[in-house]
Amino acid sequence: MDTNQSYTEADLVQLLKERDNRAFNYLYEHYSAALYGIILPIVNEQEVANDVLQEVFLNIWRKIDSYDPTKGRLFTWMLNIARNASIDMVRSKSFQNTRKNQPLQENVNWNTTAQLRNMDNIGLRKVLEKLKDEQRTLVELAYFRGYTHEEIAAMEGIPLGTVKTRIRTALIQLRNYLE
Amino acid sequence: MNVKEYIASGIVESYVLGLASKEEMAEFERMCAAHSEVRVARDAFEKQLEAHALNNSIKPPAHLQSQIFSEIDIELDKLRSTQNNGTVTDDYTPEPAPVVTLRWWKYSAVAAIIFLLASVGLNIYLAGQYNKVKRDYTVATTNFADTKQAMQTRLTDYENSLQVLKDTNMAVIKMKGVSNSPESMATVYWDTRTKDVYLFVNNLPEPASGKQYQLWAIVDGKPVDAGMLNWNDADGVAVMKNIPAAQGFAITMEKMGGSPTPDMDAMYVMKML
Repeated sequence: MDTNQSYTEADLVQLLKERDNRAFNYLYEHYSAALYGIILPIVNEQEVANDVLQEVFLNIWRKIDSYDPTKGRLFTWMLNIARNASIDMVRSKSFQNTRKNQPLQENVNWNTTAQLRNMDNIGLRKVLEKLKDEQRTLVELAYFRGYTHEEIAAMEGIPLGTVKTRIRTALIQLRNYLE
Repeated sequence: MNVKEYIASGIVESYVLGLASKEEMAEFERMCAAHSEVRVARDAFEKQLEAHALNNSIKPPAHLQSQIFSEIDIELDKLRSTQNNGTVTDDYTPEPAPVVTLRWWKYSAVAAIIFLLASVGLNIYLAGQYNKVKRDYTVATTNFADTKQAMQTRLTDYENSLQVLKDTNMAVIKMKGVSNSPESMATVYWDTRTKDVYLFVNNLPEPASGKQYQLWAIVDGKPVDAGMLNWNDADGVAVMKNIPAAQGFAITMEKMGGSPTPDMDAMYVMKML
């Protein structure tokens, strides 16, 4: 198996759609670590991240026919599969987890900043640190915890339009720090 | 908004990172198809994001690769076996039975015996059927009385529910499922005169044992307990607490008897007014 071979994106996608084993190996060699870097800051636990990575590659294998290159690059498509699988995993775990079903302390707001976890030095989270507190919370809730803009508006007690503008401004800033 | 402003609005980043709403996504895809500048901007951000992800990659444990590829092999076998679903060939042909000749009286005797056995069998079968029908009839009469009683109780419940639905002073608030459970739905009926709150479950999963749904009124950004839902009442309109003012309603699953504050991760439906 020659994993040093490189493909154009169009060729790679074509081979993946034919379920070509070498192409999948290439994909794993080149992108598993990048995707793992996306998954880990969301799920926070290595064991869980391993399960998610496995599911992500199986999903890529199963759903490659539905990848549409006119809507974006292959990596973006995989990134979103990885992010969604990570958020789903965190949610299904927190549903099973009785610890999390205990009531929060008295006088707690809908504000969830306090519950946010600590994995600050990885991937996009590292960049997140550079944002203002208020922006960081919104991106955290939207990108890392998968809440819709409507849910965030209700949780934070801010109008929907403001949530949307603040998140977009935050993302533009985030991008400037990405270099 | 011109194309330049559209590109600078943050929609590119929002779309690529998967944070855009369905409508925004559809609009963005239309804009991409219509304006090459939008496509170029999207492509540039995607490449930047990909480069960042590659630079910030974390190597997964080595054993994962073989584990994942053996799962893929299993999937591949499954795929192939459904594709070549061949037919099973059957080469078996029965041997011809030996032919024996019988005299005429032997035929008659055999026929008489067969007839007798069949007749006895039929009698036993019919007697059994008769007894079964008799038993079923008794059971059915008792069941009928019970059912009638139960139906009457249900009818009264439904009539009460209908009164709430008919009331012209009710504010009707449809709470849609949040992304945790998009199929969920429930409706709050809020009496504008008395401020009494009623809850109707359109669709919620049955709560796990020891768990109960709790209705929250959102008052000035804070959740206020609006009562527990007794699951037995969930097929009609359930009476909840009186809420004088609120900007929204939400339902979470809590431990039996309720919690002082909601568990945000177990929210099912919500509606802001």
